[in-house]
Amino acid sequence: MNRPGSPLLPRRLSVPAAPGPALAAGHAAVRSLLLDNGLKVIVWTDHSIPSVALHNWVRVGSRNEAPGLTGLAHFFEHMMFNGTARHGAGEFDRLMEAQGGSNNAFTCDDVTVYQDWFPRGALDLVFELEADRIQGLSLAPELIESERGVVYSERLLRVDDNNQGYLSEQVQRAAFIAHPYRFPTIGLPDDIRGWTVQDLRQFYRTFYAPNNQTMVLVGDVSHAEAFALARRYLGGLPRQPDPPRVLVCEPEQLGERRVMVRRPAQMALLQYAYKAPAANDPLAPALNLLLTALVDGNASRLHRLLVEQRMVAQEVTADWHQGFDPSLCWFCFTLAEGIDPHAARDLIDAQLAGIAADGLTDADLHRARNLNAAGFWKQLSTIDGKAHLLGEYEALRGGWRNLFAAPVRHAAVTRQEICAAARLLLNPRRRTVGMLVPEAPRC
Amino acid sequence: MLKPERIIELARQGFAVPAHERIVLANGMTLVVVPRRDVPLVAFQLLLRGGALGDPPGLAGVASLTAGLLDKGAGERDAAAFAESIEGAGGSFSAQAGPESISISGQFLAQDQPRMLELLADALLAPRFAAAEFSRQRLRHVGHIRSLKDSDPSELLPQYGRAVLFGRHPYGQPAGGSEDSLQAITPRDVIEYHRAHIGADRAVLVVAGDLDVAWLKTAVEQRFASWRPAGAPLPQLDPTVKLRRRRVLLVDAPGSAQSYFWLGATGLDRCYRRRAALELVNSLFGGRFTSLLNTELRIRTGLSYGAGSGFTRGRVAGEFAIRSFAETQQTARAIDLTLRTLSRLKREGVTAAMLDSARAYVVGQYPLNLETAADWAAQLAELELYGLNPGYIEGFGPALRKVTLADAQQVIEEAFPSGRQLALVVIGDAARLGARLERYGPVQQIALGAGSFTQH
Repeated sequence: MNRPGSPLLPRRLSVPAAPGPALAAGHAAVRSLLLDNGLKVIVWTDHSIPSVALHNWVRVGSRNEAPGLTGLAHFFEHMMFNGTARHGAGEFDRLMEAQGGSNNAFTCDDVTVYQDWFPRGALDLVFELEADRIQGLSLAPELIESERGVVYSERLLRVDDNNQGYLSEQVQRAAFIAHPYRFPTIGLPDDIRGWTVQDLRQFYRTFYAPNNQTMVLVGDVSHAEAFALARRYLGGLPRQPDPPRVLVCEPEQLGERRVMVRRPAQMALLQYAYKAPAANDPLAPALNLLLTALVDGNASRLHRLLVEQRMVAQEVTADWHQGFDPSLCWFCFTLAEGIDPHAARDLIDAQLAGIAADGLTDADLHRARNLNAAGFWKQLSTIDGKAHLLGEYEALRGGWRNLFAAPVRHAAVTRQEICAAARLLLNPRRRTVGMLVPEAPRC
Repeated sequence: MLKPERIIELARQGFAVPAHERIVLANGMTLVVVPRRDVPLVAFQLLLRGGALGDPPGLAGVASLTAGLLDKGAGERDAAAFAESIEGAGGSFSAQAGPESISISGQFLAQDQPRMLELLADALLAPRFAAAEFSRQRLRHVGHIRSLKDSDPSELLPQYGRAVLFGRHPYGQPAGGSEDSLQAITPRDVIEYHRAHIGADRAVLVVAGDLDVAWLKTAVEQRFASWRPAGAPLPQLDPTVKLRRRRVLLVDAPGSAQSYFWLGATGLDRCYRRRAALELVNSLFGGRFTSLLNTELRIRTGLSYGAGSGFTRGRVAGEFAIRSFAETQQTARAIDLTLRTLSRLKREGVTAAMLDSARAYVVGQYPLNLETAADWAAQLAELELYGLNPGYIEGFGPALRKVTLADAQQVIEEAFPSGRQLALVVIGDAARLGARLERYGPVQQIALGAGSFTQH
C-alpha cells in the first residue's frame, strides 16, 4: 500500500559460506553494458516466472545534502512519481499498473533506488517511463505542496510516533560532528516545510545524470532485448559532469557520547552506535559474520544472554550501515519491562568487552557461516532479491562480479579475523549510546 | 493497456501450480511434497487446524503461547540446544497462532532435511513446556504488545477493530492474546491446549524445495508414525452477527502526533464465489497505489502517507477493513474523505477501463507472490486448511479474465459495506481530538496503556 522512503536504520547483507553450482550458473547468466553516456545496465536472465524486476540505482542520498536541506534526496524520490512534460501527474503509476506492473522506491544515506516489478510484456513501457522521468520531470508547484504533506506524515509515522525511530535520530545526530551521515534521511521538520522548486531543480540537474545511475534487470528478459531497449531509450541522454564528491571526513571519535531521551513509553530502549568501516572494507565479511553470531536467531550470543538467560531485553537487533564512507554499526535493545537501563548497559558492556577480547567460539563461527549461507540463497531465490544484490555489489562493493566471489571470501574468514573485527568495532571510545527512559504519559 | 492475449498467456503461466504429490498418512496427517531445484534449500509449512479457536474463554493467547513454546525445549534438547541445532545448520523455524490455525514454518539447507524433520517432530510430539520457559515466553508476548504500543501502534488496530466488530465471537478475540489475558494463563493451560488441539488429524505438512520425493515421504511417515489425533474435536464456529449501527472506539494515546484509523465491517468467508471480482474491485478501491482511497488521501490531498483496504476471509466470515492515518488536527477530514470515497464506490461503481486496468494489475503481479519454494509451501498448506484444491489457484487466472462489469457491480453491492455498517477505531490523542469523533457514532474510549483491546 505504501511507498516507503525507508529512512530507517539501514540493512545488513547476508553472505554465503559455500559456493554452489547455481551460483556458477548465475555468473554465466549475467551480462553488463556500459552506454557511451556512462549509464551501466546489468542483466540477469531468469525465466522461472514470466516477470521482470528492474532496479535503478542512483548514487545520491542524504549523504549529499547540506544543513537546511536535509531530506531533499528522499523528497525528490517522491517527486519522481509526480509527472513529466510528456506524462502528466499520476500517469507513471496509472500506465504501469494498467500493464500489470507495480513499483516502489527507497532512499538511504548513500543511494536512491527505484524498483519496478512487471510482466515481461510491459518491458517497453517501463523503459519508456524510466527514461522519461530521468530527463523530463515537471516538478509542478502544487504537487510539491501535496507531496510535502505526504512526507511530513511519513516523518510523524517513523519518528514522532515511534520511540525507536525517535531515539535513533537523536543518536545519529550526536554520532557525527562533521559528516553528512548525521542528517536523517526523512529530513528535519523545518527542512521538509522549507525546500523550494529551485532546490529540487538544482538537485535533479546535479545528481540524475546517466553517468550517476546503474540499471539492473532480472527475470524473463534476454540480454540482447534489454540492451537494445537500453540503447534506444537511454542511449541518447547526454553525459553530464560528475556530481561533486563528498569530501568531508569525520574526525576520529575519542570518547563515548551519550544521548538521553525521556518520553511516554512502556519499554526502555538502549541503542549503541559504533563507528564502523565503509561497505567495501576488507574486514566486511568478518564483520558480517560477527554480527550474525551476536544477534541473529535464538542461539546468537546477545539474544541468548539478554533475552533468554537474564531476561533483561525483549529484543536485540544489529545493523551495520554499509555505505560509501565509514559510518555506524547499530545495536538496538528493547529492554524488558521494569529493567533499569543503566544496569542493562553494564551487563551488555561486560559481554561485548569479552567478545572484543576473546572473539567467537568455533560453534559461533560455524553457526554464523551457515545462517549467512542460507540467507544468501534465500535472497537469490527471487528475481527481486537477485536485482537487489547485483545493485548493491555494483554500487557499494566494487562491482557486481564480486557478488559471485562473496561465497569464497566468506568461507575463508577465520576466528582470528573475526577477533580483529570485534576489536576494531566494539571500542567504547568510538560509540554513541542512546537511552530512552519511560515517562508516564501525561493525562 | 496490457493486450488481451498477454493476459491469457500470463493467466496460464503465472497461475500454474507446480507438480506435487499429496498423501494422507495412516495417522490422519496430510502431506504434500513439491520438488523444486532452483536453490539448495528446502522449505516447510505445517498448519494445525484450530489455532486460537481452541483458546478457553477469557484466556486469549493460549494457542499463541503454546506455539511459541514448541521450540523452547523438545525431545532430547532443551531450548538452547534446540536453537543451536536449527541455527547451527543455518536453518530457521518459527511458530505462531492465528485465528483458525497454528502455523509452523521454516527453511533448511537441502542437506539438513533429516535434522529438519527430527526437530519438527520433536516440537510437535514432545515439547517440554518447562515452567521457566513458560514464564519467559509469557513475558515476551506481553512485551511484544507493549513495544508495539511504543513504536508502531497502528499494528494493533485490527485487534481493537475485531473486538468491536465481533464482540464475544472467537473472531473478536486477539489470537496473540492481550496483556491481561496473557497474565491469566498458566502452564497447565498450555499443556491442556497441546493435548486437546495438537494432533496428526489436525495437521497438513507441505515440504517444498530441493528434495527427493520418495525419501521424504518415507522419512515423514517414520518420524510422525506415533503422532496421535488431537484429544478434542475441532472447535466449531457460530455464524457472526453484523453490526446494526456504527460504533466508534477511541484508543487514547496521549502525545501521539497522528491519528491511526481503521474502518471495518463483517465480511465474506473463504468460499465466497465471486473472489475474482472481489480482488479486482478491492484493487481499485484500496489495493494498489492508484486506488481510489490512496488517490484521495495521499495523491490528491497529501493528508497521509498511505491508505488502503483489504478483505480477510475466514471459515465462517471475515472482515473488510480500511486503514490510514493523518495528523491529529486532520483526523476528521481524513475519515470524512474515506467515508465519501466508499460512498462513491457504492454509488458510481467502476468503469470498464478501470476494470481492465485492475485485471492487468492483478494478473501481472500474481506470479511475483508465488515465486519461491517457501511461497508454494505456504500457499498449498492454506488450500488444504480450507479444504480447497489447486484448481483454486489455476482457475483464478481464467476467472479474473472473465469478470464483467455486472460481476463487479454485484460485488460492490454485496461485499462492500455501507458507511452505516462500519466500526471505526482511532488510535490518537484524545485531548487534542476532543469531540471530533462523536459525529461518527457513540464513542467509547479506552487508554492505549490498558491491558485489553476492549472495555469488557
